[in-house]
Amino acid sequence: MSVQTAVKGHGKTASTVVGGAWVRDARKAPRRRRACLMGTMAALVFALLAVNILLGSYTVTIPDFFAMLGGKTIPGASFIVMENKLPQALLGMLAGASFGVAGAVFQTMLRNPLASPDIIGISYGASATAVAAVVLFGVRGAGVSVAAIIGALLVALVITALARRRGGTGLILIGIGAAAFMQAVVTFLMSRADVSNAQELMVWLTGSLNSANWERVGLLTIALVVLAPFVAVGSRELRGLSLGGDTAAGLGFNVPRARLLLTILGVLLAALPTAAAGPIAFVAFLSGPIAKRLNGGAASLPLSGLVGAAIVLAAHFVAVNAIPGTSLPVGVVTGALGAPFLLWLLIYTNRANQGG
Amino acid sequence: MAMRPNNPDAMPPVATLSATGLSLGYGERTIVADLDVELPAGKVTIIVGANACGKSTVLRGLARLLKPGAGVVHLDGEDIHKVPTRTLARKLGILPQTPTAPDGISVADLVGRGRSPHQGWFRQWSTADDDAVAAALNVTGTAELAGRSIDELSGGQRQRVWIAMALAQETDVLLLDEPTTYLDLAHQVEVLDVVSELNARRGITVAIVLHDLNLAARYADHLIAMKDGAVVAQGAPEKVMTAELVQKVFGLESVVVADPVVGTPMVVPIGRRAALLAEAAAAKLQGLESVPEVEGVQA
Repeated sequence: MSVQTAVKGHGKTASTVVGGAWVRDARKAPRRRRACLMGTMAALVFALLAVNILLGSYTVTIPDFFAMLGGKTIPGASFIVMENKLPQALLGMLAGASFGVAGAVFQTMLRNPLASPDIIGISYGASATAVAAVVLFGVRGAGVSVAAIIGALLVALVITALARRRGGTGLILIGIGAAAFMQAVVTFLMSRADVSNAQELMVWLTGSLNSANWERVGLLTIALVVLAPFVAVGSRELRGLSLGGDTAAGLGFNVPRARLLLTILGVLLAALPTAAAGPIAFVAFLSGPIAKRLNGGAASLPLSGLVGAAIVLAAHFVAVNAIPGTSLPVGVVTGALGAPFLLWLLIYTNRANQGG
Repeated sequence: MAMRPNNPDAMPPVATLSATGLSLGYGERTIVADLDVELPAGKVTIIVGANACGKSTVLRGLARLLKPGAGVVHLDGEDIHKVPTRTLARKLGILPQTPTAPDGISVADLVGRGRSPHQGWFRQWSTADDDAVAAALNVTGTAELAGRSIDELSGGQRQRVWIAMALAQETDVLLLDEPTTYLDLAHQVEVLDVVSELNARRGITVAIVLHDLNLAARYADHLIAMKDGAVVAQGAPEKVMTAELVQKVFGLESVVVADPVVGTPMVVPIGRRAALLAEAAAAKLQGLESVPEVEGVQA
């Protein structure tokens, strides 16, 4: 009936171009560009790693560095490089990458640049339980990490439960409330802490690589290696979820399971580096949007990780060398650089009318 | 599993989607209660009804996006909630109302995501996927947009790209929730043409929720009119679309005439302005001087 008489709007049908080889080419172009970008970022991270290890207050030559790596002891230099600079730089790189991926996971899943773990209270949850463990129970070492992870998971559990059926924006608002509450808890606990504890906790709360050691680097490395395959799975699920719940379900994604996996993954990726180096301000929040901007507007987990690593390494170099004789906590620098960038980002993305 | 050959003219076995005793709602609120509905296999079914009558809810229920409070939905005799979601997504596609694309994604990439249910850990992107995406882009006239970013497209282009994504899924049943929202008339017709050509060529079963009654009457093989979560009438548009039905479903007085192009029913609403115009015309005929002022009808 109606179909035969319907006038064709345009002549293009499947018969005009047969085969899909051109589709493969069209899909390859952005991938190739992203691969180039990731190569460049990886090189930048490597360069920043080298700068942190070799330059600064105590300069080491490259041959000396490799000699020390090979086991040779150079009086004076060996201790500074092997026990200080190298673990600090490596911890900074790992923590930055972990924060970067954690931020991008939440931001992409909830489709909102504000939905990063440091804004929605997950990092503060980790801080609060870690401080509570130290101040109230006198916990030290690995126990603090466990407390931080428990705190982050608890906050995530509470805010997702409270935000049920309220959508992404509801979750972010509830998360901001949770963050404020957790900050109050931290402030209260700090007022109860004895002076030596308070001093140490204060540095940790700002986010600092100064107390990095091989044990922390080792633990974080193992944790991230274990999580890596889950990030690969999560990245695939995220491609579906970023289309919205209904579309994703229609394409055969198991939406509740994918959300659960990604939430746990994001929480762990935010809590683990928090336990090792403190909640380094703004890194999780900034990495995703910067990676997106570099990548022509599309979110990318690996690129966010590389951006996070670069931010922490660059900030650490500034923190260590800005004031001669003093080593600032890295979080002071990321915080100072991050806040204006946040304002710029909000103004710019509003003008461009697209989510950061 | 065996893939369907990628010849777009191949006729797949027709698929039937039906619901029995279906109750749907959000939280405590029940919107649809004890509904029986069947989409005729290989035909285009269009669901019409006033705002908030539950038509989109029914479509979401049929597509397993809503878990029913009671009742079952069967696809070719299988309960859709007992089939793994990925398996179901190879047979049943849904395009939700006003979907949103992630930032910075290219047209080829978005349409390619329609292939997700056909992929798995051991079955990565293949030439079959390329061919399906190419066919979907061609049939929707979006091939020349393949390399563009979704953000740059107009509303009409974007909607065609979303339909291309649903087509790339290569399902036997395709559900579309108001696919013509925000489109001008030319683009509305174009989108419906694409769907109806696809139905004619591949014999897929289609269900569309639509607002425009005249387009619904023209493009539907089977028309379902809903009110307050229940089916008021269903059948061929010529049988279903009557002035009484429009009055019953929309509370609107109308005259139903034959569409001058294809002869399907066409609803001409009456409304208050029509009465005013008729009054003015009558006054004019009687030669009265005090013609009521109606803008645009003098002389």
